[in-house]
Amino acid sequence: MPAIRVLPEEVVNRIAAGEVVERPASAVKELVENALDAGARRIGVTLAGGGRGLILVEDDGCGIPAEELPLAVRRHATSKLADDTLVRIATLGFRGEALPSIAAVARLAITSRPPGADSAFTLVVEGERVEGPRPSAGRPGTRVEVRDLFRRTPARLKFLRSERAELQAALEVVERLALARPEVGFVLEAEGRRLLDLAPAEGERLERTARRAIALLGRDLARDLVEVEAERDGIRLFGLLGLPTAARSDPGAQFLVVNGRPVQDRLLKSALKAAYGDLLAAGRHPVAALFLELPPERVDVNVHPAKIEVRFADPGTVRGLVIGSLRRALAEHGQRTAGRIATAALGTFRPGSTTFAGRPPSPSLPRGLAETAAAFQAPLAPLPPAAPPGAVEPPAEPDPAAYPLGAARAQLHDSYILAQTADGLVIVDQHAAHERIVFEKLKAGLAEGGVARQVLLLPEVVELGPGEREALLERTDELLALGLAIEPFGPGAVLVREVPAVLGERPSGELVRALAKELASLGSLFTLEAAIGRVAATAACHGSVRAGRRLSLAEMDALLRQMERTPGAGQCNHGRPTWIELKRADIERLFARR
Amino acid sequence: MKLAIERAALLRSLGHVQNVVERRTTIPILNNVKLVGGDGLELVATDLDLTLLAREPAEVGRRGATTVPAHTLFDIVRKLPEGATVTLEQQPGSAELELRAGRSRFVLPTLPVDDFPAIGGEELEVRFEIAPGDLVKLIDKARFAISTEETRYYLNGIHFHVAGAGATRTLRGVATDGHRLARIEVALPPGAERMPPVIVPRKTVGELRKLVEGVEEPVRVAVSASRIELTAGGARLLSRLIDGTFPDYERVIPTNNERIAVLATKAFAEAVDRVATISMEKARPIKLAFETGRVTVSAVSPEQGRAEEELDCVWQGEPLEIGFNARYVLDMVAQVEGPELRIEMANAAAPTVVKDPADPALLFVLMPMRV
Repeated sequence: MPAIRVLPEEVVNRIAAGEVVERPASAVKELVENALDAGARRIGVTLAGGGRGLILVEDDGCGIPAEELPLAVRRHATSKLADDTLVRIATLGFRGEALPSIAAVARLAITSRPPGADSAFTLVVEGERVEGPRPSAGRPGTRVEVRDLFRRTPARLKFLRSERAELQAALEVVERLALARPEVGFVLEAEGRRLLDLAPAEGERLERTARRAIALLGRDLARDLVEVEAERDGIRLFGLLGLPTAARSDPGAQFLVVNGRPVQDRLLKSALKAAYGDLLAAGRHPVAALFLELPPERVDVNVHPAKIEVRFADPGTVRGLVIGSLRRALAEHGQRTAGRIATAALGTFRPGSTTFAGRPPSPSLPRGLAETAAAFQAPLAPLPPAAPPGAVEPPAEPDPAAYPLGAARAQLHDSYILAQTADGLVIVDQHAAHERIVFEKLKAGLAEGGVARQVLLLPEVVELGPGEREALLERTDELLALGLAIEPFGPGAVLVREVPAVLGERPSGELVRALAKELASLGSLFTLEAAIGRVAATAACHGSVRAGRRLSLAEMDALLRQMERTPGAGQCNHGRPTWIELKRADIERLFARR
Repeated sequence: MKLAIERAALLRSLGHVQNVVERRTTIPILNNVKLVGGDGLELVATDLDLTLLAREPAEVGRRGATTVPAHTLFDIVRKLPEGATVTLEQQPGSAELELRAGRSRFVLPTLPVDDFPAIGGEELEVRFEIAPGDLVKLIDKARFAISTEETRYYLNGIHFHVAGAGATRTLRGVATDGHRLARIEVALPPGAERMPPVIVPRKTVGELRKLVEGVEEPVRVAVSASRIELTAGGARLLSRLIDGTFPDYERVIPTNNERIAVLATKAFAEAVDRVATISMEKARPIKLAFETGRVTVSAVSPEQGRAEEELDCVWQGEPLEIGFNARYVLDMVAQVEGPELRIEMANAAAPTVVKDPADPALLFVLMPMRV
């Protein structure tokens, strides 16, 4: 049996480095955060070899005085904690681990010149050897150079992904920080290419955030964003939400920022998902940039070494605030569909891309024939309106200006409704639209009449993990309201006595287990609501006006009016858009009038 | 093989055995029906779990066996004119079967008969005969309650077992889907005393029911813990049984429900059906409100309005309100042939027992719905 020994500091540092710096992207994150904490206005990042060869971060921040440079690379030495309580943390970093951890696994050179100082000083660290600080040339601010990352820890090097993947990860890290701090300019270069060039964004906070978000996520998203702003109990939430129809198949376009710190918090992610709820098809992820600000003492950021997870003092309030305000914001914009879709439609309309019957007659035709062709292609003279037999008074034609979705003008292919609005044209997919209306009605019915519960002949025993059983039993009353009756059954299990009748014969075990997991980790009952919602959605699909059914103008107008009254009418239950709009200006552009 | 057979006889047996042939299978031989010309024509089709055999008289010129696509052969025979005589011939060494009828001629590809899955297995130790009427009753009254939920495979069939002791022993058929249960009893056929408890899968139950249709002589049953074989008329059925344990259902049948209602079967079924028109929901909830001398059937739907209907009913004591899934009620009442229905309840959340006073062999349990 070998004797117990205290590990040398070098080994301790390398172990700690494994927690803080697991890949080049994490080193980039630590360094850029340092720059932000230093009050930088512009930050430049240069990478080579996916960050393995070189990471260079330059800022124009407050710099480090020469005499403090040796301290900067000592473990648990930091300027960011004023006292020792860890309660009020207002900076991104505070653990004093970043620089020493990086120094433990790479060659590190720090050049810094506080504004007002005469010259810069450079400190070079290689493993245990510290050189300097010695005077050098440098602009005000700090420049940190990291070379040969992980060269001294081959085990880590082996687990790195390709250069390309590491570069992508580093880019994402910088993008997230850039979105969190739109007032700071960012430049990222790699292998001589400029991958990111963001000028400091101007304007009010929401405005500059929007600018930064659009710069990062792409211009075509600009029309599909909804602003959200809310405050409750000293917690402020603001940000931008993508319309459900602008959702993506990967969750990469979700930026969550807590007190200026980009996080990957599960509570916030699940709240985001719950807020969209049935507006999204399975496997679609909303686009969102959400910023949460709360007093530092009400959030614990010291949960994860890389600080990507946080703990809230009152998760319930945060969750409620996020879901509530997001739902409200989405409901207000329920009528809007993604403008991008209309743009795509416009693209297909582009003159020249399609052959129209009304093409000018070919000059090679003999004169007489050409004239005939022109007359043939001229629009028909309008027919005099025929009085309907039986002389029923036609319903008064709605004024297009009076309604957001306008007045129905015609039906195309027995499937699409064409409506004229005050300043454009709306095309409605009748099946998708009606399906949404039926679904919302069914849901309202469920909410109003309560959920009928089928009592089980053979109550089902469901085994649960520790904590899950208690989490579930605590919410017995709410579960009952959603149709699920459970009671304790020995340690680690519950007995299911009644299930939501709409779910039919489906075994409850799986549902209950999923619910318990969700409750234990997130505190929500989303799974159960969703399961009931899905049945309603299927029923809605079958009870709807299908494509291919001919509708009268009055029926079409009635459908348009119902859509205007229905929350979330902008997309069907499968997440497809229910209508698109072409503005009059768009139409005029098609004909080159603008 | 060479033989001649009446179209009607061939159609009857083919129509029966081809039911078991899956239209899509990855094993080509399972698309085929096996034809054996010996003493008459024997037809065999299988999906590996269930095998159907039929025998018809035929004039066999040359003995032999082959397999041909079952659905194609069935469609051909179905379209032949009535009263035709069909000849089937496969030349020795040929991979084709020639079918002739009148002036029609078809040539069908065959697969080697040796590739056809062998049926049989271990000895079926318990053998007995059962009256076709009893078998029909056991199936018809119970099958509505069979579960279709595949994760609870042990409920996907009818559970047959011997119940009781001594002279009052019975053969029981039980089915449940966890929301309702049907329990049917018939007199224990002699020889069935040692029958192990079995669960006959739903698909087999369906084919079995067709097999005994119109049969008058006793049905021969041979059974082991894992397989069952039934012979009726000229046809035979062999099936695997569900390998599982049926739940201890007796535990959930209450014996002392004291709130008892007696009402007219037909009028009740019609009233429930009418009132349920309102509840368009998938679960179709209805409410029964019992009070002295009458019951009110009602339904409420946020979308479709309200409905209620009053019926005469024997009822004593405090009123009771209880909810049910209308579909479950109708399924069950349809099994009661007697003029009256006896409903035994405890409260609005406990198992409710339904009986046919005219036929003590029937018992149903229905779980309420909390509306």
